[in-house]
Amino acid sequence: MSGSGIIERSAAWFERYVVPPLGAIASNIYLQAIRDAFIIFTLPLILAGSVFLVLANPPIPALATLLAPYENAILVPYDLSFGLMALFLSFGVAYSLAQYRRTEPVQPGILAMVLFLIATVPVSTLENMTLGQLLPYLGGEGLLVGIMVGILSTEVMRFFRGSRFSIRLPKTVPSNVKRAFEALVPAVLSITAVWLLEWFISSHTFLDTTGSKPVVTQYTIPILLMRVFEPLVVAQNSYWAALLEIILMMLLWSVGIHGMNVVMAIALPFWYTTLAANAANPAHATGIVTEPFFHIFTHLGGSGATWPLVIYMLRSRSSQLRTVGKVALGPAIFNINEPVTFGVPMALNPLMMIPFILVPAIIVTVNYLAFSLGLVHVPIVAQPFTVPVGISGFIATGGDIRGSLLQLVNLAISALIYYPFFKAWERILVAREEAAAQQEEKPITVPVAARARVAATEKLAVKKGG
Amino acid sequence: MIRVLIVCSWGMSTSLLVDSLLAAAQAAQYELQVEALSAGEYAARVEECDVVLIAPQIRHLRKSIEKLAISVGKPVALIESFHYATMNGQAVLEQILSLLAGVQEGNGNT
Repeated sequence: MSGSGIIERSAAWFERYVVPPLGAIASNIYLQAIRDAFIIFTLPLILAGSVFLVLANPPIPALATLLAPYENAILVPYDLSFGLMALFLSFGVAYSLAQYRRTEPVQPGILAMVLFLIATVPVSTLENMTLGQLLPYLGGEGLLVGIMVGILSTEVMRFFRGSRFSIRLPKTVPSNVKRAFEALVPAVLSITAVWLLEWFISSHTFLDTTGSKPVVTQYTIPILLMRVFEPLVVAQNSYWAALLEIILMMLLWSVGIHGMNVVMAIALPFWYTTLAANAANPAHATGIVTEPFFHIFTHLGGSGATWPLVIYMLRSRSSQLRTVGKVALGPAIFNINEPVTFGVPMALNPLMMIPFILVPAIIVTVNYLAFSLGLVHVPIVAQPFTVPVGISGFIATGGDIRGSLLQLVNLAISALIYYPFFKAWERILVAREEAAAQQEEKPITVPVAARARVAATEKLAVKKGG
Repeated sequence: MIRVLIVCSWGMSTSLLVDSLLAAAQAAQYELQVEALSAGEYAARVEECDVVLIAPQIRHLRKSIEKLAISVGKPVALIESFHYATMNGQAVLEQILSLLAGVQEGNGNT
């Protein structure tokens, strides 16, 4: 009993001193808007585009030879969906941020797309450019610009809304017309600023053809930004970055905060930049640390690779764990594990936190080795994280059966490490349940007390409201 | 008709709770309309509901979510994590009803 006392005390300490600072980072409004924008606005494009990417490089050799002559044609839908994700991301960031700011979201969204295009096209040579030349910067290599103009657009619009610099119209003017005029000043100002910056950058850099090989030195805003952030993209595609990301993710989950959600807000632009580079050249792809690296190859059965735990729980001696196991089984197939995280619980449970962090950290190490040694093809295809384990590994690697094998190896690792911790936690719960059963005759049992506590806090929240 | 917004992150796991909650409501003959949405969508649409619930995995956003709900006079509460884990629609329905009862009490007193 004293053992579980220590556990409860350290859980309280965690809740008090670790949750607030991590929560503060996680609740940053820009990070939330970026993440929402990726999930709501660009993920559908990425997934739809990936279908055509798979079709252009089918895993079956006979089909591959049959479709080879049409490869470029099949890639057109991919290029104009997945390939344009930065353009639509700029809309999404502006839109999502406006929702958080509680202002009208469509106008900043449209302005962001305009700003994005102006930032991407070299001002001096628009007429000589082809869409093909521009494409890379409208997709994977333009994500940072997309995010920046998205934030810029919403914030500028918000700043001018109601300020004395915006155009005022008489009250009789319909609100739609008024809105359009209100947006005029911020739109013209921000367009001018981005246009002048792009003009300056693109006219002070030139195509150098004097050497043996023509060197592209004409920069645009996205090219310049990519050069500046290249070290970061490279650094992010490393083992240490992956390890840092998984540990941060699992630390957050350990205190019951959606870790993937938080880390993604910072890492997604890098993950998709790397994945887009892989997708653009599947045969010679080298990017390892991508979104599928975590969602498909690490979080098997949900964050923390808890699939094996669900199986253990189904036959547990603890009735709490058996109950949770039954609820958790269905979601686990689709890699959803909130029932596990909050039901075992893993969150705020110092005993289970150890494997909850350790297991994914080891799996990340195994994954990185497998991909970097070329034992498994690196991920090139994005898919919903709900695709069941086994199938998803095959799809993510563009049809490499070793992708599924890697997932199975990881499941075995997870099963092995979780087992002793699961047994120890089960013993504690069984002891508690037996103690509770002995006290059954007494009027106040634990669940009732807990319910009373919930009711009390609810009343408090409502009172604050009134 | 009771309109409930559940603020969560993906809406994936919460959709399971929504199903269980709707089933519990139907059994108890309450007319319930439940929607799971992200914090951003919630900010844009808080006016369109009667009760706001917060999923436990976005507990770190609780303060800002509560502040907004209170500013427009909507009752708000965090879903107990074990109820969330076991997708206990019955318990969450009771929570919603007690929140609404609390609001009515509050109005009666003032």
